[in-house]
Amino acid sequence: MLIYILKRLGLALIVALTVSVIAFALLRASGDIATALAGEGATPESIAVIRQTYGLDRPVVVQYFAWLWDVARGDFGQSFFFRTDVAGLIFGKIGNTLILGGASLAIALALSIPLGVLAAIYSGSMIDRAVTMFSLLGQALPSFFLGLALIMIFAIRLRWFPASGTDGWRNFVLPAVTLGYYITPPFMRLVRAGMIDALNTDYVRTARAKGLPARRVVFKHALRNALVPVVGLVAVQLGLLMGGSVVVESIFALDGLGYLAYQSISYRDFPVLQAVVLLLSLAYVVLTLLSDIINAWLDPRLRAA
Amino acid sequence: MLKPLLSVRDLRVDLNTRSGVLHAVRGISFDVAPGETLCIVGESGCGKSMTSLALMDLLPRVARRSADEITFDGQDLTRRRIAGKLRGRRMAMIFQEPMTALNPAFTIGDQMVEAYLYHVGGTRAQAVDRAAQMLEKVGIGSARSRLGQYPHQLSGGLRQRVMIAMALMTDPELLIADEPTTALDVTIQAQILRLLKDLQQELGLAIILITHDLGLVSRIADRIVVMYAGAIVEEGTAAEIFDRPAHPYTRALIDCIPQPGKTERGAPLGTIPGVVPLLIGRQDGCAFRDRCSLAQPRCADDIPTQDAGSHHWVCIHGGQA
Repeated sequence: MLIYILKRLGLALIVALTVSVIAFALLRASGDIATALAGEGATPESIAVIRQTYGLDRPVVVQYFAWLWDVARGDFGQSFFFRTDVAGLIFGKIGNTLILGGASLAIALALSIPLGVLAAIYSGSMIDRAVTMFSLLGQALPSFFLGLALIMIFAIRLRWFPASGTDGWRNFVLPAVTLGYYITPPFMRLVRAGMIDALNTDYVRTARAKGLPARRVVFKHALRNALVPVVGLVAVQLGLLMGGSVVVESIFALDGLGYLAYQSISYRDFPVLQAVVLLLSLAYVVLTLLSDIINAWLDPRLRAA
Repeated sequence: MLKPLLSVRDLRVDLNTRSGVLHAVRGISFDVAPGETLCIVGESGCGKSMTSLALMDLLPRVARRSADEITFDGQDLTRRRIAGKLRGRRMAMIFQEPMTALNPAFTIGDQMVEAYLYHVGGTRAQAVDRAAQMLEKVGIGSARSRLGQYPHQLSGGLRQRVMIAMALMTDPELLIADEPTTALDVTIQAQILRLLKDLQQELGLAIILITHDLGLVSRIADRIVVMYAGAIVEEGTAAEIFDRPAHPYTRALIDCIPQPGKTERGAPLGTIPGVVPLLIGRQDGCAFRDRCSLAQPRCADDIPTQDAGSHHWVCIHGGQA
């Protein structure tokens, strides 16, 4: 198991370095940075000065390692648009996005695992169809619509939760429900399919033959095997989660990374975008690593790989 | 015959399929005495596996079971609450595919102690001791370290031994074995069969062995039930079936066994021409008549059951016809 984790860790490091190269190239590929920094109508002389001050006249490889060294120390450069430190900008907002993402994921799993299991046990029945409809609705309903509907009902009419802002945990409830429901369908489908397969396996029949109570057969013997692909999906769903959080954070004026990413794209604020892309990719790498480790714990056959 | 351990009367299994209701088991009755080995034989699709699954209440969801009587030691197995208490405790089952019958996510030990702790109780340490003891009993060395292994670390033969050990954890009186050696290679088959035989003598276990392999049956059976197209066509002691097979189907099955000294070297192995009929809808008369060399027009009518003591067969022909 330890060897397996070390192997995965090494692999994750290689991927992270590759990602950093791409994130670095992203900024260079967007055009001449010195020209962009100097702004419109700058003289060639002032552009040359900027180029020298920011070290943009050095070889690209040198620039990369200088940049990597800066990033490793938490220095992501200056935002073109906000004219402030990118690191400060991001770290002020990343907490909100992490809370939103974590809460949404928790809601999605809390919905999809029991519902998926239920749909699988009663597959083909009315219960199965109702669960499938509920998850289809989550997929079909745009999150801006659900978000606005929730604001109408729970913020304006019932006044249970605030409609916008980032003041306390109450601010996160409606956005997390919106985003959680949005990412539920793929999890639900995977749990359902995995459970239908698992319930038809020989080892579940063996567990039944042993006379174990139904809930032990379902939740111990079948679910453990059905969860392996679900854990893998968590990492993959990060993209959907981030895409969704851009919309959801905008609706609820939640001051997070998704909203910042949206702004940096519209203002061509490349240093911010570069930092966001890098952080997201690293989060992806870390989540993949975690899901590999969790899966190795769930399914011992993977440990040999 | 002793007071039967298991009594089955008019057991039926129906499956809903797209082309109609498939009657997989068509009203069969038999008894199993304590400590005896009953072999249920027949070709694929004759309903023998469905019979075994029906006894353990493990039928697939599309299947419906009905019976006038299924009792185990006098207790009504058709009542779910009673069946739940007996299954996995006093009656256990092993399956054809040892490669997939164990859960890949849990250690052998974990899977072995599970039913014991649930049915019998006691501490985990006691259950682990019992598991190690059972592994040794089925011929698995260094049992303690095996308990920590996962199924994928064991060979097929070992896994089937583990399945047997696991089934015997709760000291059951009846073991249902559905084609337990079919998926294994020949040398391992012989070992597993010998093991079952030894365990039966040691533990006084009754065994229902489901198989298509009459060669296997000849080495272990006390009594034999021959099934064809969902019904029992002949039943008797091993001696009666092998020495005086009465039903043409039984004789055809026996003729398919290659015998050292008798079967000519290089001669083609015996086969029964034709296939098992579809089991959808009613079956009038003898289901075997299309493949039977002795078939007569009256085989399409109701066929009487003929008896000679413990030997019964369902055919118009007499014992040695």
